[in-house]
Amino acid sequence: MTDLAQIAKIPNVASAVLGDLAGGFYDAIRVADGESIAAVTGFISTSLVDAGEQLGLGPLGRVSLAGASRACIIAVVGGSVVTVSVEPPGSLPAVERALDTSSGARG
Amino acid sequence: MEAILQTLMDLGGVTAAMVFDSTGQLLGHRGHSIYDRALCEQVSGALVRAIDAVQLQQEDWETIAAQFQDGKLILRRVGATGGRTQVLAVVADGNLNPSFATVAIRVAAGKLKKLLEGGGVSSPGLAAASSSQLGGGGPASQSQPLSDSRPVLANSGLSWSKTSSVGLSRVQVADPAAGAFLSRCAKALAQAVGPIAKVYVEEAVRRVAPEAPFAMSMAAPLVEDLAGQIEDPVDRKQFKAAVAKS
Repeated sequence: MTDLAQIAKIPNVASAVLGDLAGGFYDAIRVADGESIAAVTGFISTSLVDAGEQLGLGPLGRVSLAGASRACIIAVVGGSVVTVSVEPPGSLPAVERALDTSSGARG
Repeated sequence: MEAILQTLMDLGGVTAAMVFDSTGQLLGHRGHSIYDRALCEQVSGALVRAIDAVQLQQEDWETIAAQFQDGKLILRRVGATGGRTQVLAVVADGNLNPSFATVAIRVAAGKLKKLLEGGGVSSPGLAAASSSQLGGGGPASQSQPLSDSRPVLANSGLSWSKTSSVGLSRVQVADPAAGAFLSRCAKALAQAVGPIAKVYVEEAVRRVAPEAPFAMSMAAPLVEDLAGQIEDPVDRKQFKAAVAKS
């Protein structure tokens, strides 16, 4: 799940960024401002982790953001946060399934 | 609003449904007894923080679906009235049928939009009255109605607007100079904490100016508040120097 090169090969994945829950930046593919994206998605993830704890939903696994022009998947694996930009947004479910398959295949 | 939220509660797996606005004020909720009003208000605060950050990355977001180990949280933008954005949140367990829920949430959001635009819920009193929980009504708490403003992403990515339409930012400024000052603070703070600085500045403004538009007369306490959040003394000193210089 945190192998950016593998994720970037999934059809309709426009870019991918690897960071952590603290907003730290580690790596990016096909995107210039990976540091900004990692910072923002780290904050989104921690805020949703807080909400999930309050609601008793357990650990956060994945967040899917969808809008008219684009979509994005934030996958939380341990302390790592992978942000996957999806274009066109209608491809979001297919990319989600591909990510599930790749993480499942890896065990 | 209760009837609309109840239709969502009738879906298999849904444990709570709530509507809140960009200030974190709960406009209505339905839920199993453990999801009482106090909890939903607490959760809406965390969700507003998350949505504020989403706005920085994707202003045109429509849905946010968060998958947790033991359930799911789905947020859907309802609309914007009175300078505030309203959001529908649905909490569900593993029994939720995602496809059916997507349709039901879209329909409910449409109905809520019509209701809110028609003034169906226009005041905290009415909002409190529309909130209830299954198995007993929760106490209506007094939420502080705050004006908000929409962040306008200029070249720097950091600026504030005096008026709002769809944004979730809750900062209102008294004049353009105050807005420019907040942008400078966010830029200076970004040197220490990164792009999330804008969110920190918004939170600090709400602390130092909770009931009035931010004005330059509140600049000093704002800088002190922000500086107090920077752990590294060198970064703190640099932040103060950068704000003073600008």
